[in-house]
Amino acid sequence: MLENIILGFATAFTPENLFYCFIGVFLGTFIGVLPGLGSLAAISMLLPMSFYLEPTTALIMLAGIYYGGEYGGSIASILLNLPGTPSAAVTCLDGNPMAKQGRAGVALFITAIASFVGGSVGVVALMCFGPAIARIGLSFGAGDYFALMLLGLVAAVTVGGGSMLKSLIMVVLGLLLGTVGTDVTSGEFRYTFGFLELRDGVSLVAIAMGLFGVAEVISSVREASKRKIMEKVSMRSMLPTRDDMRKTFAPMARGSSIGGFLGALPGAGTVIASFLAYSTEVRLAKDKSRFGNGAMEGVAAPESANNAAAQTAFIPTLTIGIPGSATMSIMLGALMIHGITPGPLLVSDHPTIFWGLIASFWIGNFFLLVLNIPLIGLWVKVLQFPYKYIYPVVIALICIGVFSMRTSVFDVGLVVIFGGLGYLFQRVGYSAAPLILGFVLGPMLEENLRRAMLLARGDPYRLIADPLTGSILALSAFLLIWAAFSGVQNLLKARRITDMPAGEA
Amino acid sequence: MTIVSVRLVVAAILALIGIAAFIIGLGFEFGTARRMGPGYFPLVLSAILTILALCEIISSLLKPEVQHLDWRPLIAILSAVAAFAVTMHLFGMIPAFLAVIGLTTLSERNFGWLPALMLAATISLAAYLLFSRFLGMSLPLFQFGI
Repeated sequence: MLENIILGFATAFTPENLFYCFIGVFLGTFIGVLPGLGSLAAISMLLPMSFYLEPTTALIMLAGIYYGGEYGGSIASILLNLPGTPSAAVTCLDGNPMAKQGRAGVALFITAIASFVGGSVGVVALMCFGPAIARIGLSFGAGDYFALMLLGLVAAVTVGGGSMLKSLIMVVLGLLLGTVGTDVTSGEFRYTFGFLELRDGVSLVAIAMGLFGVAEVISSVREASKRKIMEKVSMRSMLPTRDDMRKTFAPMARGSSIGGFLGALPGAGTVIASFLAYSTEVRLAKDKSRFGNGAMEGVAAPESANNAAAQTAFIPTLTIGIPGSATMSIMLGALMIHGITPGPLLVSDHPTIFWGLIASFWIGNFFLLVLNIPLIGLWVKVLQFPYKYIYPVVIALICIGVFSMRTSVFDVGLVVIFGGLGYLFQRVGYSAAPLILGFVLGPMLEENLRRAMLLARGDPYRLIADPLTGSILALSAFLLIWAAFSGVQNLLKARRITDMPAGEA
Repeated sequence: MTIVSVRLVVAAILALIGIAAFIIGLGFEFGTARRMGPGYFPLVLSAILTILALCEIISSLLKPEVQHLDWRPLIAILSAVAAFAVTMHLFGMIPAFLAVIGLTTLSERNFGWLPALMLAATISLAAYLLFSRFLGMSLPLFQFGI
């Protein structure tokens, strides 16, 4: 264990890796600060550029963008009441009232500290449980993998919030898109329509950029032009009182544990973690009326939760090879593009990558602390910069990024299609995250199902009879039924509410 | 004038994708449960997609809502990306950057042509320095024809 940690730090402390770690967290914070553009779009934008780097260095940078985005997202929440990233939405509830009371500096300070605490707890959890889970993963068969991936997809549909029918549609559409290309087993071309470019499948980056980059920019253009920000945040205004510090200690601890646990589960992710941490604080508080009016705990708990979850999300991705969220599936795609197969063997076969990456998380979190406390003024400036000069550049970067990936004009054309579809989906309440997850997991799901059914001689009962496979499948079925049931119940309740006079239902 | 709900249109598109994928999928070998052919997975998935999309069509007919679309940024940005693809292919990187930025700025009615032009010029120069000089990507800056 100790030697692995030393190996990790030795890898992460090379000048090159330190530099790209810094670049990663810096860009992540930058993108996180800008409302409307998430870390997912940022990672896909920089993916083509990471080809010029060593795999470890590339991953350190891409991961930095991801958790850096979690830090940056809350800055826009506090100052503008507009979440920079979805998981920072909860921070608006109490962070923005604090800013209105002239305590923006304190809120930002608490956020940075809570994020650091949460991130650190997440990294420790990753160090302790990652290798152990990888060892368990070694004994998994094709059936178990199939069942686990199915569970991940079901969890994304049921836990993800929003309409379950719509999420299901998105997952199935993603799985179907995943079948485009050459069938691994038979070599037959499926849905290629005679295009050479489609033989390797639809480009993941083109889909992600269309759905998350272009679509988000289109829908943010109108709102963004109206935004105004006034305040200046000085270093002095950031210092919390001793009483503030005392009050936030326990919420940070609770938030980190909730986030650390949820982050490792499939489907849950940072958004659910921050919401759950917030509602836990509300439930535990003696005086509930303070929440929504600038309660310190309401900032500290969700911020530590989403950063802890951002770190532990790497556990299933790296050690079993099953991503729990859309962003993690892009990370998985990045690993595979660099020729590394994530899974139980990653920890033993590529220790420098695994431990180097973990060590870089520590360093990255430390960089972020520096970026978010002494350099906070920089991000306030970024927020003040007119958005109209930013989004054209984002669109141009998306284009060049997709194009240079395979020097393919065809892929840029795909961005047009997925950008248009993504905007339509967004307008009518479909979330694109399950689609990406289905797309990445689809080919693996199919391959493992085919292998498992071959071993089970075509008898599905044999598949279910395996204790592990059977129980994971049962769990997925239970989740689906439970969600469908509570969905129907909510529908009935909603009908009753709409019968009543219009209020704040 | 009748307003067709966007939700209905999207659900219909999804149903059409499902039906088309199913019909094309019939051309692949289905195989058996034991030895699944290349058509097994796509057929099952497209059938599920079609059924789910039909449910969504019904549900959107039951509860009609009106959503509005921001047509201006939608058309401006999509055509900017498409223009990038075409100009990159025909004329090289610098014209492609000018085209994509120029068209994107049309998303706002009052962007102004001077700021748009300056932004396009600055970004093209920065892209040249970053991609060609710093990262050493071998992308044609200017070219003509295919």
